Amino acid sequence: MAMETIARKDHAKAMENEVKQIQKQLRPGRPEPPIWWSYTSVRRYLHAQKLCVWSYFLELSWVHWVVFHTQFLLLSILQVGPVPQHVSFIMDGNRRYAKSLNKPTKSGHEAGAWTLLKMLSMCKTLGVKIVSAYAFSIENFNRPREEVDLLTSLLAEKLDEVGRRALDRKSELFGVRLRVVGERSMISKELNDRITRVERMTDGGDSMTLYVCFPYTSRNEIYHAVYDTAESCKYHGQAAEDVDVRSFTKSMFLGDNSNRCDLLIRTSGHTRLSDYMLWQVHENGVIEFTNTLWPDFGFIEFFVMLLRWSFFACLQRRELANVSLRSQAFHLFKNNLFPFKRKPVSYEDLPEAPQAVSVVLKS
Amino acid sequence: MSKIQDTVLKRQDDNWRENEQDHKRVPAITNGFKNPGKPSVGNVKKVLETAVLVPPNSEEVRRKLAQRNKTGMWGQSGGRLEYAMYKTLLSVLLVIYACVRYAQYEYNRVKILVLNLAYSPSNTPQLIRQDVLKLQKLPRRLAAILEKKREGDVGGGVSGVLNDGSELVAWSVSAGIKHLILYDHDGHLKRNVDDFRNNVSHKLSKFYDPSNVPRFAVRVPQWNKVYFNTPGAEVGAAKKVAIEISLLSNRDGRETIIDLTRTMAELCAQNEMKLSDITMKLIDSELTQLVGHEPDLLLYFGPSLDLQGFPPWHIRLTEFYWEQDNDQVTYSVFIRGLKKFASCKMNVGK
Repeated sequence: MAMETIARKDHAKAMENEVKQIQKQLRPGRPEPPIWWSYTSVRRYLHAQKLCVWSYFLELSWVHWVVFHTQFLLLSILQVGPVPQHVSFIMDGNRRYAKSLNKPTKSGHEAGAWTLLKMLSMCKTLGVKIVSAYAFSIENFNRPREEVDLLTSLLAEKLDEVGRRALDRKSELFGVRLRVVGERSMISKELNDRITRVERMTDGGDSMTLYVCFPYTSRNEIYHAVYDTAESCKYHGQAAEDVDVRSFTKSMFLGDNSNRCDLLIRTSGHTRLSDYMLWQVHENGVIEFTNTLWPDFGFIEFFVMLLRWSFFACLQRRELANVSLRSQAFHLFKNNLFPFKRKPVSYEDLPEAPQAVSVVLKS
Repeated sequence: MSKIQDTVLKRQDDNWRENEQDHKRVPAITNGFKNPGKPSVGNVKKVLETAVLVPPNSEEVRRKLAQRNKTGMWGQSGGRLEYAMYKTLLSVLLVIYACVRYAQYEYNRVKILVLNLAYSPSNTPQLIRQDVLKLQKLPRRLAAILEKKREGDVGGGVSGVLNDGSELVAWSVSAGIKHLILYDHDGHLKRNVDDFRNNVSHKLSKFYDPSNVPRFAVRVPQWNKVYFNTPGAEVGAAKKVAIEISLLSNRDGRETIIDLTRTMAELCAQNEMKLSDITMKLIDSELTQLVGHEPDLLLYFGPSLDLQGFPPWHIRLTEFYWEQDNDQVTYSVFIRGLKKFASCKMNVGK
């Protein structure tokens, strides 16, 4: 028990440190005064000012302590109810965020990466098994070269970071298994090797799997599944008639986890999927769209989404079970308290019925 | 590659009868059989029952509970107490959420009522065209997901679906949209295609001059068939149609992709096709032939977005529109969807 408490405290402390570190990294500078007659400029200024004040406020240690422990408590509460298996993020809005703060694009992507780390640690605390994130689309190769290079180098950097943390017993991301999925042939060999190394490093993790979709599109994923199935039919003697939805789904990038995505979150206001997780989400998946830009996506919003999910999940589980609690309890009581059973009766044992008479033949 | 198409179509034909029974569909959790978005007292009770009584599915909590059971009397009751406390707090949170949700629901309903008053075209195509003329762009292909409501309800049953579908057709014709895709999970529309055609023609004759009803074509990709106008009035098929309607069902989704895979795998195994011939372009063109083009805008008339197995290949960049807590096929959702589409910016990857 004592050991347990210590371990738990250790864990909480590690998380706290982690969050502190993230906040330090993210700390925005004081914004420049706006052009007072332009509405958007004033709005941007206020947003930046809010971020700045909030970060100063959080640096007070007791405020930080309170905020952190409230978050931890709330997540622990949600944890005892139904929890989504697979949560997925479309991280949209990094560039607009940077633009609104008058910063270079790079800092927007940086902030986005930190938000993802924050979300990861929350999912991990909650007990979500699979998290996936849309880091880079194949279509994104159409962007200017500098930005593509920037995103690639950022990914490499963050991968190392996550890999390090996944192995660090003190970190809250300990035990995360990392996978980079997508059209890997489109990225340089050097980066591929680096990714493979990190993947191998974290192979032993079993508490959560993180899929980073890097150059990924869903159509490409389906195409690969078709190709692989045809290949295995041709060379490995699989009968074409045996191909069904289940085996096909298994041959996709996410393997056994390809069938369903419980909760897909898309930030920054667009209501489309942009070629992401089409197969996973088109049947009974929940898609949440929000207007917040990804770096601004915080604890409260995510928590409300999770609470909403768990409310409806409870309701549906109950509806699908289709037995009312009352009748269940009633039968339980009846069977246990009044063990009275009717004896089976055979037809022959019944006494003879009175003679049958007809009215017509009375005369 | 017409051979691939023929084989896939044959496969689809083979088992469409077995498909005739309604598949038991599990809807998305936010969109159940009885509208779960409206938290009635009964619903809240059900939620709490499950939340409190069902064991958690997070492994960590289970492990902790099991561990505590081993460590003697004191540890056991402590762990249990903590667990019970969390469960209680969870119920409190859920009740609070239900209250907030109820307020939201009422607000949304009022909003929908007002909108329905504001936009009511009452069978006049001129009004619809006027609404549309204000917009900058229209979707080339419009898709809509229809749902069969319970038999007893107003607008329920198969006739309700047919009516909703034909209403959408009439609005689209008036708005000037040339392609309409109607999806319903169980394929009620395509199974009753003759009734549907009659219904559409009836509805169009209410909107337009009955002696000169706009021509339409109904395409059922699953059977590779095209029907013109009403049954018995197919003459003039060669003339230009005002709208082309595709009827899709769940069969055109995952299963068609599987059929395509099987066919390609067979052809590859028999060396009639090379593996390297399988490209993204080929799959795309085959699926376009077998199912249709990707829609630009997808309208959903239920309380919260539920794609219900709409063909996954075809929703790549599709814009979704639905009105929160709405449960009817109404013109206000249609026109607001078009407005949303006109205002949104598409930048593929850039």
